[in-house]
Amino acid sequence: MKILLVEDNHKLSEGIVQALMNEDFVCEAVYDFQSAEEKIALYQYDVMIIDINLPDGSGLNLIKKAKEFQSEAGIIVISARNSLDNKIEGLDLGADDYLTKPFDLAELIARVKSIMRRRKFEGSNLVEFESISIDLRQHTVSINNNAVNLTKSEFDILLFFISNTNRVLTKESIAEHIYGDNMDMADSFDFIYSHIKNLRKKMINAGGANYIKAVYGIGYKMSAAE
Amino acid sequence: MKLIQRTYLHTLKWLIPVMLIGSVFCFYMIEYIAHEETDEFLTYEKVRLMEYYDANQSLPDFHKVADLYETDKPIQTYFRDTLLLEPLDNELVPHRELHFTLQHKDKYFHIVLRHLMLGSDDILEGTIMIVAGVMLLMAIVIALILRNITGRIWRPFYNTITQLNQHQLQQPVPTFSSGGIDEFESLNKSLTDILGKIERDFTNHREFTENTSHELQTHLALIRNNTEALINQIEDKNPEEVAHLQKIYTAVNDLTQAQKSLNLLTKISNHEFQQNESIDFKETIVQSLDKFDEMVKMRSIRVDKKLAQSTHDIDKGLADILINNLLKNAVKHNIEGGFIEIELKPNVLVITNSGQSFQKNPDELMNRFTKGRDGNMGIGLSIVKQICDRYQYKITYTISPNKIHRTEIHFS
Repeated sequence: MKILLVEDNHKLSEGIVQALMNEDFVCEAVYDFQSAEEKIALYQYDVMIIDINLPDGSGLNLIKKAKEFQSEAGIIVISARNSLDNKIEGLDLGADDYLTKPFDLAELIARVKSIMRRRKFEGSNLVEFESISIDLRQHTVSINNNAVNLTKSEFDILLFFISNTNRVLTKESIAEHIYGDNMDMADSFDFIYSHIKNLRKKMINAGGANYIKAVYGIGYKMSAAE
Repeated sequence: MKLIQRTYLHTLKWLIPVMLIGSVFCFYMIEYIAHEETDEFLTYEKVRLMEYYDANQSLPDFHKVADLYETDKPIQTYFRDTLLLEPLDNELVPHRELHFTLQHKDKYFHIVLRHLMLGSDDILEGTIMIVAGVMLLMAIVIALILRNITGRIWRPFYNTITQLNQHQLQQPVPTFSSGGIDEFESLNKSLTDILGKIERDFTNHREFTENTSHELQTHLALIRNNTEALINQIEDKNPEEVAHLQKIYTAVNDLTQAQKSLNLLTKISNHEFQQNESIDFKETIVQSLDKFDEMVKMRSIRVDKKLAQSTHDIDKGLADILINNLLKNAVKHNIEGGFIEIELKPNVLVITNSGQSFQKNPDELMNRFTKGRDGNMGIGLSIVKQICDRYQYKITYTISPNKIHRTEIHFS
């Protein structure tokens, strides 16, 4: 799995590369338009993460270039400008996803994995973790072959956890993942808490283990049963 | 009051003393001229009489002699005013008399020539008629001239006002014409300077917002990601340090939220959302309610909606934010098992919901960062207010004593 990261802020770039490598991705980082253009012309990537504001050009033009070279990479645009126009333009040019800074690394990883899944299985796929198996096309979940009936939010939370196993997911990043800008952070924690409580209960009832552990004060973490 | 009307009034006010002084002057002038004329006439009459006497040694059959009597010595010629009773009118009428002596053989005759003079009342009458006539004429002429000239002279001024009203930020500063009048020239110069300054300030402000937004967000991302990484590294090893990290992480998130909201507010007030299209609020509300569906169910809130079509010209993004924030507010500050009623009519939107009590004036909720009960800083409603202001919608927020919150928006 090869990822190209185009981000001009070196420190930010380092952090992202580190997080992606922890997930066993191969990640190359470039810091300007020029070198990004060369890389795109020479190599094939599975996913490209492109910052819009680069010192020597617009990331939006990089998307155009990638399409010109008929790159099959999935593209995630990241931008500091919280501008709807940029988002629409980026998606119109063929980007698959859009993230506004600051974002959680967990969120970025989830999005990268989601693109990977879509690319790899061309839409029909099964995600598995321990005894859990998720059919993304049917939107169904089963544990030990017992169907588990989840609400949409519970489903989204479960998938978010499975994309970030062994990683602490903060309450904030879960809330942002589920509700986006629709809810103020602090107000949604109660909802997150009940969702996770219900999710755990349903998983245990279906014969699964308690995979989701609370990390006191911060959030939750999903890992394999000990 | 219009400038021209005020000019008329002032002009008229000043015409009154002019008229009074003019009348007095006119009165004495007429009187003086009448006197002079009478004296001159009487003098000519005397000369004619003397010439006739010198030629004929007698007086003519017809003459103006009013009185004639013999006297013993010649007298100095003199004029005299006298009042005589006019039997026809039965009133005293002023007359002018010329007294002189004529020597005939050895005798002296005192001759009195008399002529009717203009009475004061006649002069007054004349004076009033003349002054009134002149005044009337002047008033008409002044009015006509002022009206005619005002229209022409003030045209550049009205043009400037029209241009100012049509001017929008981020458009080139218009060139004003002064019609060669110094005062307008200086007004236009000041206006051009001010508009230029406003334009520069606006651009600076916008760039500042954009730059801070960009710089802040990149560094916020850095802090957030590194805190996250640290949390993952020491998660089960050191709970105390994790608590510190948690605080940093929360602070970064709050800062992000505040910055996003402030940015949005600035963008709205800078009129950066200009793409107005015809939006049916009914659809916006239905879509928005969908997002809150889960929370509404979890808190057993009853939602009643009566939605009619209500179409308005508004930027789509802003319409979404407006409705989203209103409904978010209604859900967020609701109580377990409460209710939300949404009523949309073509020109008014009313959202009523159960909620908590608020000690202060509900209008304060629409100010930025009003401290709520739990110390939270709210900005959602001030964004709503800003959008309403931008489109001249009238918004009222009331809380009844039985803790029913009611938001009303009248679309203009």
